[in-house]
Amino acid sequence: MQFESSSSPDSSSQQTDTELYRLLRAGRADVLGILYDRHVGLVYGTALKILTDPQEAEDLTQDIFLMLAKKCSYDPARGSLRTFLAILTRSRSIDRLRSRTSSRESLRRWQTNQSPEGGVDSPSEYASQLEQSQEVQAALTQLSSDQQQILRLAYYEGLSQSQIAEQLNLPLGTVKTRARRGLIKLRQTLTDYTR
Amino acid sequence: MAGPLPSEQIELLVAGYVLGDLDAEEAEEFQRLLATDPTIAQAVAQMQDALELSFAPSEAAPPAHLRDAILNANRASHANRASADPSPSSGRKFPIRLRQILELLAAGLIIALAINNYQLRQSQQASQSPVQPQNRLTYALRSTTPDLPAAATVAVDPKSLEGTLTAKNLPPLPPGKVYALWTVLKPGAPFTTDSQNAILTDVFQVDAQGNAAQALAVCDVHRSREWVAAVAVTVEDAAAPQKHQSKPILVAAL
Repeated sequence: MQFESSSSPDSSSQQTDTELYRLLRAGRADVLGILYDRHVGLVYGTALKILTDPQEAEDLTQDIFLMLAKKCSYDPARGSLRTFLAILTRSRSIDRLRSRTSSRESLRRWQTNQSPEGGVDSPSEYASQLEQSQEVQAALTQLSSDQQQILRLAYYEGLSQSQIAEQLNLPLGTVKTRARRGLIKLRQTLTDYTR
Repeated sequence: MAGPLPSEQIELLVAGYVLGDLDAEEAEEFQRLLATDPTIAQAVAQMQDALELSFAPSEAAPPAHLRDAILNANRASHANRASADPSPSSGRKFPIRLRQILELLAAGLIIALAINNYQLRQSQQASQSPVQPQNRLTYALRSTTPDLPAAATVAVDPKSLEGTLTAKNLPPLPPGKVYALWTVLKPGAPFTTDSQNAILTDVFQVDAQGNAAQALAVCDVHRSREWVAAVAVTVEDAAAPQKHQSKPILVAAL
């Protein structure tokens, strides 16, 4: 990751997400294409997984990237753009799912498609359980149940640490530390599968 | 993996960054590390991979046309914003020839959008469905107490879910406080709300004159008024506005 001051088109593709996001918000419409290329797989994949309808997933993907260009609450100093996009996409997808005229039918269809084997609390958990390889499942079992739950609430439900602390009746500092240590442990366990 | 493993403290910062929960002090420390330690970027990438392997669905390739559709829509929007707010500095930014090309592109986009709009209208008429008005949903918020002569207006485009907030005569807040804009839902609405049946829509501050004007990105509940019971403004802690601890000072009840 280079932190260059240059903003010429040739250097843009080498720049960090943070730099590109700042250029985008400063009016450089052209850098949206680079951010799109980097993250559309995650955004579209998440939307498609939840909505199951390619057209709706397309529409939502468009909304997400245009929102990124125009106005959104992302603070590049405090977190990664990918996590922000993943949480935003999941949240907007579930909103759309719920607001469909035939929301009950859609939810039922989606849940049927996922064929869960039981034991999950929210629709958004189905997807992950099916996606996870045995290695990932094994890595997750090395986390405490609190760590797993906190990471799910943070990444799936998009809850803030304060909201998680309130929901689980835990001190804020405990929530923060458990989430981070859980993620560190995952990285250590999955080291053969990361860059 | 390149380079030595970061220390535990650094790893906690990296994990916090990937999870998006750094506080201001940590964010400053992290940015300093990122700028000086070339192994940090790699650690971020590995941590991000671990998070997504464990919790994100597989990536999927969208249709090829989506990229152009998004970039064209963004360029058109950008061109519209630029033409609506011409400034001397932006006029000098591009050589005349480049500017002419951009203007031509913008004009082409406008024509394309006009054609698209016409075709959409034709399609709607052909299907004999009633034409949906492009009306924005507008909420006029009034003060809940006579001694506060404040007011605000929230206008939302139910299609794009973008809107604007304007407020006037609100007192500037002390440090650590923020105005919070809430969408209060009717009982039984199929959306996730807090314990007061509300969704935190945005936060804002006012200038020294007590005025505010900012763009909004709102959630799907604003596609219609069906589930909206009220739109309200409260004063909350800036660090945790979602706690929703105050009573409304401005409200538009439906």
